[in-house]
Amino acid sequence: MLGFTIKLVDENEEPSKKTVLLSTEKRSDQWSMLLVSVAETRDRRAFSQLFTHFAPLLKSFAQASRHEGWFPGLSEDLVQEVMIKVWQKSASYNPEKASATTWIYTVARNCRIDMLRRKSNTQHLPLENEDFWHEADEETPVSLMRQKRSEDKVQSCLARLPKEQDEILRKVYLEGKSHAEASNELGLPLGTVKSRVRLALQKMQILVAPEFRDEIL
Amino acid sequence: MSTVNHHPESSMLVDFSAGNLATAPSICVSAHLHFCNQCRNELLRLDQVGSNLMSEVEPTEVGEHLFDSVMSQIDQLPESDTAEVSSTSDMADSRYPLLVNKLINGSESVPKWRRLSRWLDVAQVTTGQNEYEVALHKICAGGKTPRHNHGGQEFTVVLKGSFSDEQAVYKEGDFLSCQPGDVHQPLGAQNGECICLSALAAPIELSSPFGFLMKPWLRINPM
Ligand SMILES: [Zn+2]
Repeated sequence: MLGFTIKLVDENEEPSKKTVLLSTEKRSDQWSMLLVSVAETRDRRAFSQLFTHFAPLLKSFAQASRHEGWFPGLSEDLVQEVMIKVWQKSASYNPEKASATTWIYTVARNCRIDMLRRKSNTQHLPLENEDFWHEADEETPVSLMRQKRSEDKVQSCLARLPKEQDEILRKVYLEGKSHAEASNELGLPLGTVKSRVRLALQKMQILVAPEFRDEIL
Repeated sequence: MSTVNHHPESSMLVDFSAGNLATAPSICVSAHLHFCNQCRNELLRLDQVGSNLMSEVEPTEVGEHLFDSVMSQIDQLPESDTAEVSSTSDMADSRYPLLVNKLINGSESVPKWRRLSRWLDVAQVTTGQNEYEVALHKICAGGKTPRHNHGGQEFTVVLKGSFSDEQAVYKEGDFLSCQPGDVHQPLGAQNGECICLSALAAPIELSSPFGFLMKPWLRINPM
């Protein structure tokens, strides 16, 4: 059972007060609160609010997929599968680690892989998709304040990326193209695709220590 | 504190975060993440990129009965189904990533060590795909493996112990990526056996006079 108490922050509240709440390590956006509520009390009203917000986003996410074998008719199947998983797995949501939106994104990504794997693969794989993202128990999450800062950084930088970097990130995350496929499609050398992505990630301060990452281009 | 020194390149983590990495390389990245705090933190932030891109798309209206359909499926869900894989093989180790133990215990045929040379054993695991051969390798303490050439891409994660090659020493959790054409000669550490997980894309050519010993390791056996 999750022991988190989460306070809703009124949008009109003083910014200084928001900072105080953040520094006491409570995630305060409404979606995360609702998700915790689903986990703790199996709250159907909270779930329906999550559904109203996320289902249309998930449907667009599904429709953006350009995976081989994917077709638009699968979109609502994906929405259903994701929302059922959200209900089932909500107890494993840890608001100290991620916002509800990020957590639901990971559920959607995993469901999309599962659906594709089920379609293309009849052979025996003794793993479920979640096993790939299984975390060590002794996980010590970074402080919520640092996380919030990094979330804001990601968001504000994404909005200001040069077109060619934005284009590739969308191909990779929304269309589901690997770097190699994106390079084929855009007619760009793989090295160019990789370095555009890396530039974007550096701007968002996602790469911890780029000097230690000496990829060969 | 994480002591891992060798990480997958960032484009692999990005493809993993976006869900675009093939099964076998994903297994290796996931095994590395088990040991590597730094990459776990990067992955969290990469997932935020995906999450931001997803939440900024223009929403598409869903069918009006979709919510009811989801709720009725939820009402029919069986009670929790957390069947733990029981450890059956002594090849599994509680310090390994969960997915490695699952691969060992869940393979269609129980993986067995096969001797390839005086110094090297291999055990293949089933992964439901044949683009890569996924296997565990065991290098004896002080073991010397033949110098070999990579015909195809290979990803390796050290699960236990350590080994070295001409470039560096690789310890628990370290991730190596060998490109086609790379030549190296792994040497087992003196102080104990070394166990690695690897995914190999295509046959390797041999560059050692004793190379014939390596052949069974190198051939891809579609399962
Ligand atoms: Zn790492």
